[in-house]
Amino acid sequence: MKDNQAGMSLSFKIISYVIISFLSLACLFPFLLMISGSLTSNESIIRDGFHLIPQVFSLEGYNMVFTFPDQLIKAYSVTIFVTVVGTVTGLFLITMAGYVLQRKDFKYRNKFSFFIYFTTLFGGGLVPWYIMITNYFNLGDTYAVLILPGLMTPFLIILMKNFIKSAVPDELFDSAKIDGANDFRIYYSIVLKLSMPGIATVGLFLALSYWNDWFLSSLFINDSSKYQLQYYLYNMINTMLFVSQMSSGTGVTLAQEIPTESTKMAMAIVVTGPIVFLYPFIQRYFVKGLTVGAVKG
Amino acid sequence: MLKKRGFLFELNKNKIMFAMLIPTVLFFLINSYFPMVGIYYAFTSYDFAGGLFGSPFVGLDNFKFLYQSGILWKLTLNTIGYNLVFIVIGNALSIAIAILISEIRGKLFKKLTQSIMFLPYFMSFVLLSVLAYNMFNFESGFVNQLLKSMGLAAVDIYNTPWLWPILITLFYIWKNLGYSMVIYLASIMGISDEYYEAAKIDGANILQRIWHITVPMLKPTFVVLLLFALGSIMKGQFDLFYQLVGNNGLLYNVTDIIDTYVYRSLKVNFDIGMATAAGLYQSLFGFVLIMTVNAIIRKINEDYALF
Amino acid sequence: MGKRRLLTLCTVTLLTASMLAGCGGTKTEAEKPSVDKSQTKDNGDNSTTTTTANGIDTSEKVELQFYMLGEAPKDLPTIQEEINKLALADLNATVKFNFTTWTDWSQKYKLLLSSGQPIDLIFTADWTEYQSYAKKGAFLPLDELLPKAAPKLNEFVPKDMWEAVKIDKKIYTVPATWKEYVTEGIAYREDLRKKYNLPKPESIETLEQYLDGIRKNEPNLLPLADNQGYHTSSVRQLTTKTVNSSNTVPYGLNIMYDKPRDVTSYWGSPQHLADLKMYKTWADKGYWPKNVLNIKDSGHDVFANGKAAAILGSENPNRYNDSVIKIKSLHPDWELGYFPYPNAKGFAQPVHPIHNGFAIPRTSKHPERALAFYEKMVTDKRYNWLTQYGIEGKNFEVEDGKYYKMLGDAQSNGFPREGMQGWAWRNPEFMLFDKSFDAVLTMFSEFDKIAKPDIFQGFPEDWSPYQAEKAAVEQVEKQYLYPLNVGLVEDVEGGLKLFMEKAKQAGLDKIQEEYTKQWLKYLDDIGQ
Repeated sequence: MKDNQAGMSLSFKIISYVIISFLSLACLFPFLLMISGSLTSNESIIRDGFHLIPQVFSLEGYNMVFTFPDQLIKAYSVTIFVTVVGTVTGLFLITMAGYVLQRKDFKYRNKFSFFIYFTTLFGGGLVPWYIMITNYFNLGDTYAVLILPGLMTPFLIILMKNFIKSAVPDELFDSAKIDGANDFRIYYSIVLKLSMPGIATVGLFLALSYWNDWFLSSLFINDSSKYQLQYYLYNMINTMLFVSQMSSGTGVTLAQEIPTESTKMAMAIVVTGPIVFLYPFIQRYFVKGLTVGAVKG
Repeated sequence: MLKKRGFLFELNKNKIMFAMLIPTVLFFLINSYFPMVGIYYAFTSYDFAGGLFGSPFVGLDNFKFLYQSGILWKLTLNTIGYNLVFIVIGNALSIAIAILISEIRGKLFKKLTQSIMFLPYFMSFVLLSVLAYNMFNFESGFVNQLLKSMGLAAVDIYNTPWLWPILITLFYIWKNLGYSMVIYLASIMGISDEYYEAAKIDGANILQRIWHITVPMLKPTFVVLLLFALGSIMKGQFDLFYQLVGNNGLLYNVTDIIDTYVYRSLKVNFDIGMATAAGLYQSLFGFVLIMTVNAIIRKINEDYALF
Repeated sequence: MGKRRLLTLCTVTLLTASMLAGCGGTKTEAEKPSVDKSQTKDNGDNSTTTTTANGIDTSEKVELQFYMLGEAPKDLPTIQEEINKLALADLNATVKFNFTTWTDWSQKYKLLLSSGQPIDLIFTADWTEYQSYAKKGAFLPLDELLPKAAPKLNEFVPKDMWEAVKIDKKIYTVPATWKEYVTEGIAYREDLRKKYNLPKPESIETLEQYLDGIRKNEPNLLPLADNQGYHTSSVRQLTTKTVNSSNTVPYGLNIMYDKPRDVTSYWGSPQHLADLKMYKTWADKGYWPKNVLNIKDSGHDVFANGKAAAILGSENPNRYNDSVIKIKSLHPDWELGYFPYPNAKGFAQPVHPIHNGFAIPRTSKHPERALAFYEKMVTDKRYNWLTQYGIEGKNFEVEDGKYYKMLGDAQSNGFPREGMQGWAWRNPEFMLFDKSFDAVLTMFSEFDKIAKPDIFQGFPEDWSPYQAEKAAVEQVEKQYLYPLNVGLVEDVEGGLKLFMEKAKQAGLDKIQEEYTKQWLKYLDDIGQ
């Protein structure tokens, strides 16, 4: 990739490969346990714990996950829809904000940055926020409530601001202005193109936060056809926790089949699997962005 | 008066840029600033008939549970200590790994390992805690099975407090490495090739190039990550601690942070006032800290400061 | 510089504050009914039936918001449709059944009640802090509403039950009338007991003999399935006449059923020390794994999957029956045994009326209609069966004229028995049980013979005078007492001393004193 690698000493290369391989293995290990767990019979998990190779092979976990496939498919489409719409909209707003906040000739950039950053320090807590969203905006049980609160985070805006700052030299703004481009045009036709690696990164994080979200469903969604995917997983885990934590004195008996350990693992695999495959695809943008960057030089 | 004119002048000059910020400002105003009214809960004893402004005012009573058991200071120190370690080791490692990956040529290897390192980010701590018990428990855990097979004595990991700061840090890094590594990797990708070309002509070897070009160029990114980490130094990582340690009181001395303490205190009898009070304590602490650090950074180099 | 920033900030905050306050709760509440009215306009032709038999005004068509905890059954939409057909004809109302799911249900429950969103019916129980919410004004008092909107229900629930759910002399919830027992007991492996000729574990001595025998003969089997050290309350159930049927009395207090006015501290007492020493020997003998505090599996699962030979807590008759069924299907050659704690105590307590109920939150727009609807859910067989068992012929059948039979299995059936967690609106006259439940009913009728009323659950503890201390002591308990409970502290005596010291520092004395005061007053009130 970088053509200066010719001078790279062999030992450095070997060390890199060894360290990276080792780390990858460490990251992979628990997932192998999970995959194996999802293929083990529940009784065996409780008796013998998890093993890299299933002690008693069984597909019961997956069977249970797919008993009602339409709900799972529905949740998948909700999450995909929310992720796509949220990421695209959010990315547009974040890049715009990041762009303005790094413009040196924008006098109030620090004040606005502070205005944004301050929200990470102080918050009113859950209750007022919940009241606002359900009672004032009436967003309960809507797709909007799954998208809007996650559109922007201070962290991503500031990160974006920095990416743009390092990717677009200040002189470029001046010359573009002399050419008669207005501020939005500069953003649209220059900044967006030059900051591709940054945008891809921020976009990836934004998409991940939508993909991983379950909290908004848990607070605002009653209609099970609007559940996010991760919420399915959380619900499953939490039902188990609930059952084990409620002392028998409550006399709580649940009619539904309580998800088992192997179901839990199978569900986790079904929920995480696809995005892992999506990741290399997003990664292509890094490479693309890099070539754009090279052309500019 | 003068200031007002200045603002209007700016507004007129940069109206497009102002317009571009409107959605962002609105977003934070509504999503974050409006609910801040709720901070008032910290000073009231909530009742349903009164609501926010009708509940009786109780002054600082809601803060009492924080210092009642006399361990607030220790909790604060624990919280800060862990976060500092996370910041230092986490950043150092992700910078190192980002550099290593950026220097690797094999495309498939690069992609594969990056994806794999991102995997832990998807793993919920609830699941992780189950797997951790499976690895660490005394009788049948992976680790002890391994030790026994090598003829060594089994270690009672869950009842050995000094091990836990190390384990928790390891889990933290394991979980977040992929994420922060990607940020640094993107920054490295953004560094213009010209610098490297010039260095090469000057005869710099790979280590010199990394040390003199890559590392300094990552400074702005590091500062951003640092400031965000510092701002939430009193919060965060609740799940990590709560799920891994759970009800094991033997470890609390070394693993209890404010979030876990507050959670356990309020789990049974949730009280809006007390929860808000705890949050306010954390916020104020972070606020003071961040203002100081930001001021220092501004002094050194204004460009790196957050605001 | 910084000062000015702070100032602007304050103004912003104040500004938003006043904005929110300006359009505060009252306004939205005023807005909402108009929406309802506009909905009803197209139903004007229904106005011929303006009142029901019981005399409430039903001219306006309303939608009731019904909230239950837990998971919604898959077939809920169909059930809701059927119910709405009935309710529209009877009460000119429709209902929306909402479920919280179990994910953060306690947080959600709190948000639902404190956010002021309109809710007409919501589940209450001792474990959802019914007493505390009622005291703080979250629910509407029902005393005057009941005879008017739900006379039949008012008659149906026995007088003493209405009395028992009263908080500060007012009724805030409609209690369930089905009498059940959720007392615990020791569940064990009868087949192993017979095989190794061990005594039935019915006292501390025999329990120890049984567990020792298991330890010796079945080294791969865990003697006890308890996690988190919950065995402490079980042992108290076995050895004392503690006033409470299930959970322990809080704050380490000692209150016995036969002498409820005699309140002492169990924590720090010689008996406590002796118990802790016993737990230490249990731990040393390996009755439970060393890392028991970190176990996440539920004890019930561990036992029912055959990993452990006995379980002390968590098995009430119903759950024990569950284990029996599970074991029967997994390992037909095994056999289970059960020793209920009531047999050791000499008396059994049925659940207290506040244990399952439905309340009308103060945010309800249609309290009368809500109560009238709830009356139907309880006293009208059509409503009751639909919401408890689903649709006959699709979800269940009646077998032999009295048994519930599920169609399909628990995985594929869209509405299993009590699929809506309908614990609160069970009606003994309409209830259908699975055949396997006969064993539980037999146990219940045994308990009936030694039944004594539960005097504990009705106690409305008001912890606001010692809220901070309560939180602090709970911390100390987890940090210092839990390790003692599972025998992880070498020096038991020193450990207990340290715990007591820390607990006192956190304000234990104040809590115990205040709690005792409230408790004695409560006993006066109920005439004990």
